[in-house]
Amino acid sequence: MELTAVPRKISTNWFIKNRWLVLIFIIIIGSIAYAYAVNGRVTTAVLASTLRQSTPLVLGALCGLICERSGVINIGIEGQMLMGAFLAFMANVYLGNLWVALAIGILAGALMGLLLAFMSVTLKMDQIIGGTVINILAIGLTGYFYISGLTTQGKFQPFALGPLAEIPLIGPVFFKNPPITYMAIVIVFVLHYVLFYTRWGLRTRAVGEHPSAADTVGINVYKMRYINVTIGGMLAGLAGAFLTLEGVGTFERGMTNGRGFLALAIMIFGKWTPLGAWGAAFLFGFTYAIQTQLQFMGVNLPPQFIGSLPYILTILVLAGFVGRSRPPAAEGKPYEKEGG
Amino acid sequence: MKRIALLLTGLLLLALMAACGGQKPAAEKKCGDEGVICIGLVTDVGKIDDKSFNQSSWEGTQQAAKEVGALEVKYVETTDAKDYAANIKQFTDQGYNIIVTIGFGMGEATAEAAAANPKVHFIGVDQFQGEAIPNVAGLVFHEDQAGYLAGVLAASMSQSGVVASVLGTNLVPPVVAFNEGYLNGARSVNPNIKIIDTYHPGGLDVAFTDPEWGATTAQQAIDQGADVIFGAGGNTGNGALIQAAGNEGVWCIGVDTDQWETVPEAHPCLISSAVKLIPPGIVDLVKMSKDGKFPSGNYFGAAGLAPFHDHESAIPQEVKDLLEKTKAGLLDGSISTGYNPG
Amino acid sequence: MATDTTSNETVNRTARYLRKAWQGISVPLVAVLLGLIIGALLLLVSGAQPLSAYGALFEGAFGTPAAIQRTLEKATPLIFAGLAVAFAFKAGLFNIGAQGQLLIGAVVAAYVGFSIQGLPAIIHAPLALLIGGLAGALYGFIPGALKTYTGAHEVITTIMLNYVAINITDYLADGPWKDMTPGNIVARTPKIFPSAVLPSLGNIPTGFILALLAAVVAWWILYRTTLGYEIRTVGLNSSAAQYAGIRVAKIVILSMMISGFLAGMGGAVETQGINGRFQPGFNTGIGFDGITIALLGKTNPFGVIPAALLLGAMRAGSSKMQFSAGVAPEITDVITAVILFFVAADIIVKTLIRQRGTDDDKVTLSTGWSGH
Repeated sequence: MELTAVPRKISTNWFIKNRWLVLIFIIIIGSIAYAYAVNGRVTTAVLASTLRQSTPLVLGALCGLICERSGVINIGIEGQMLMGAFLAFMANVYLGNLWVALAIGILAGALMGLLLAFMSVTLKMDQIIGGTVINILAIGLTGYFYISGLTTQGKFQPFALGPLAEIPLIGPVFFKNPPITYMAIVIVFVLHYVLFYTRWGLRTRAVGEHPSAADTVGINVYKMRYINVTIGGMLAGLAGAFLTLEGVGTFERGMTNGRGFLALAIMIFGKWTPLGAWGAAFLFGFTYAIQTQLQFMGVNLPPQFIGSLPYILTILVLAGFVGRSRPPAAEGKPYEKEGG
Repeated sequence: MKRIALLLTGLLLLALMAACGGQKPAAEKKCGDEGVICIGLVTDVGKIDDKSFNQSSWEGTQQAAKEVGALEVKYVETTDAKDYAANIKQFTDQGYNIIVTIGFGMGEATAEAAAANPKVHFIGVDQFQGEAIPNVAGLVFHEDQAGYLAGVLAASMSQSGVVASVLGTNLVPPVVAFNEGYLNGARSVNPNIKIIDTYHPGGLDVAFTDPEWGATTAQQAIDQGADVIFGAGGNTGNGALIQAAGNEGVWCIGVDTDQWETVPEAHPCLISSAVKLIPPGIVDLVKMSKDGKFPSGNYFGAAGLAPFHDHESAIPQEVKDLLEKTKAGLLDGSISTGYNPG
Repeated sequence: MATDTTSNETVNRTARYLRKAWQGISVPLVAVLLGLIIGALLLLVSGAQPLSAYGALFEGAFGTPAAIQRTLEKATPLIFAGLAVAFAFKAGLFNIGAQGQLLIGAVVAAYVGFSIQGLPAIIHAPLALLIGGLAGALYGFIPGALKTYTGAHEVITTIMLNYVAINITDYLADGPWKDMTPGNIVARTPKIFPSAVLPSLGNIPTGFILALLAAVVAWWILYRTTLGYEIRTVGLNSSAAQYAGIRVAKIVILSMMISGFLAGMGGAVETQGINGRFQPGFNTGIGFDGITIALLGKTNPFGVIPAALLLGAMRAGSSKMQFSAGVAPEITDVITAVILFFVAADIIVKTLIRQRGTDDDKVTLSTGWSGH
């Protein structure tokens, strides 16, 4: 399934093959509709929160995905996010322009991606070490150089997408958001298209699955990996910028709080596909929003029980429905050009 | 081999320099001498500039040092809770005579250090003293009273009849005290008020440093009609305040210090903060230490509401009167906050 | 590791050993040096005095017997966590869950320590250690079994189980196992009985000795037993192992359990040797430290020890550094990252010191990701 480059036709066969997926999808839509009928306001609030919580996670997962599809493991997502968040914040403080700050956040991510590419492709370092270096480095640098007491000019505010925002439930959830949230949704689909329906995507996957074969047909393995890992870094930088420019509006040490590692889990959960990652991130965001909602409703349980919900649910879903997932075959192995 | 020799020489030199670098030139007076005051501070797990109790304790300590003419005033940040004792020792070893330790978690380490150093005065911020130790003063606050006032203010200002609180973890007693007071204060104004309170579901290490969680949670509450948000949980709470500031017609209330100073991004919504005045408390205790009147047991610092700042005119006079009345009632004991840590 | 037995000249052999030893330590040494130099540059940029900072760091880590004790205390849980991660790596498993396993071990050991009274120390302390370790093993069993029977990737499940473990232990410390001493409002368990406390032998914590023993045992299992051979075979190529008749499922579960046992025991040692009870907020981030250390030690149980000592020394010395030189402890993270970089990018270092490249000690662990 992974290597087909031509557009796949969705036939009835597809539905049968993915009957669990379809069933779950129907159940989800059904329950959302029911919940909306019972209490529209709460449903909207929970779903809006779901989308918001899923945004940095899906961006992080896409970062990991595009790196791994080209054969480079990236466990440095957390660090790349943190650097993106920090530099975007600093730019926002000193330049006062959110869009420039956004660009700088992405650039910071790109540089961290480039560093990972340098370590894993050029130096042929173990990729897990490369990612770990990035994580520790980011915690150290941002922690050391952050100065408290800096104020920004504000953060991205939501804007409505015209009449689309008027649709009940879907409108306020999907079409009344700040810019990075829109970007994340667009990127999911663009990446899905690029990865599975373009030459570039085919090459990327070829490099990740069978680099020596790709090499023989004239694909530059090193170049492909460099570019993909750098793009991945940009996505992580964007996720970081989301935190400082759109989510919170300011920076705190260690504010990524493990989101980069959750993103890693989400990437695997989504079986290394953009749409899968989106679904997994949504599931996650949803369990977070529900966990808050349970507290809102005054459910008399220790917060620690409610707090475990997203993680236990993830394990159950993973164990029960998703099961085995297969990573790109050449992942983690530095490519050595034969004879040279 | 040359290179290796060179390298080893370099290493050796570095080690030598390192060994020398640690030694300070002898000063005329130093900590531990008669009549010299040196004040040290050990943070709770977190940074000195946390915009929360570590920061305000440090501000108070610096101010106190200035007022009593201390020779040295220094801090050490704790990165892991198990370093409390070692970090305190850092100061006792150097002859510091007043040591400020922060957070309930350090209570035990403080008591142990106090027993080992009977001549040193310890100020334990947020450390409730079950049994008085002669050289330890627990600087504690009636957080529930400050929270109660915040609750009264919140319920009075709410148009929708829904108010919320976004909190750090319930593992930290002062946070629970703030919230319990807030709940009961709000109910005292409007018994039918809907209050949505949420604790961060993560562990101690993330509960106070997750502003994005605070922001999302605040928004989720606002989307359900909450129009006053009480953000009480370090940077997590700050995220909630900033989020509230982006919503029209929503007020927010900060915590610990006057957050008008620490979170300027929240100015549009910040009507007040439920404060516990750590700096004056530390200054008082340090002065008492200097004058030989250091108290032991619990020393209650002032807690209450911060000024309204720019929103002075937005608060109706009757609300201000009610707050005054409540404050008086809390002081003379005629009003109970209903918080009982048991 | 192969020894040339054909040569009988001891002198030659000693020389070869020395050269080998030098080859082994030269890269890490140079990496540490480079880490310190780059850290010094950063300190200069931020207006601090590198020499006095490093001096204080060194003094805080090794300056006095008490400082050395603290370094060893700091290194102890790091060794256990590093061993846990390294052991799983050998089986091709990426155990990000050392944190959770350690927490569970710590809280269970505390329970054994405070709930059972009247046992002699010679039984009580080892019992708490063992049960703490077993609790960690049980917690490691979950991702192992999930992987074997449902295919759920251990990277996801161990990350998730870390969060769950934090919640479980917080709940226990604030609920059923809470310290009910009058006046206590803090979430923590009661103090363990003195019979469960691990004493210090002079300035050497017993826990540290246990950590060294654990490293020896881990090495012995990996390189001197059939089980270890099977584990390493599975780690290198699980399908080949399957063809060779190794029961991969059993090995995966067992490796995760041993890994969990090591982490859990680390937690128990913390409870019994350092904290005297369980209290939330201790040892946060130890799982990721474990990864760093396993990598620094090239996933070799004996490599883990110096790596943990290095990190432990920096952690122990950093408060002195802040006290004397006013330098924030985060700088040690930057130094750690640079050291890790140069240890892994040994190609750079070897060019620098003109050492012939030997490929046999090249670090490769990433099979751990896509194996099975």
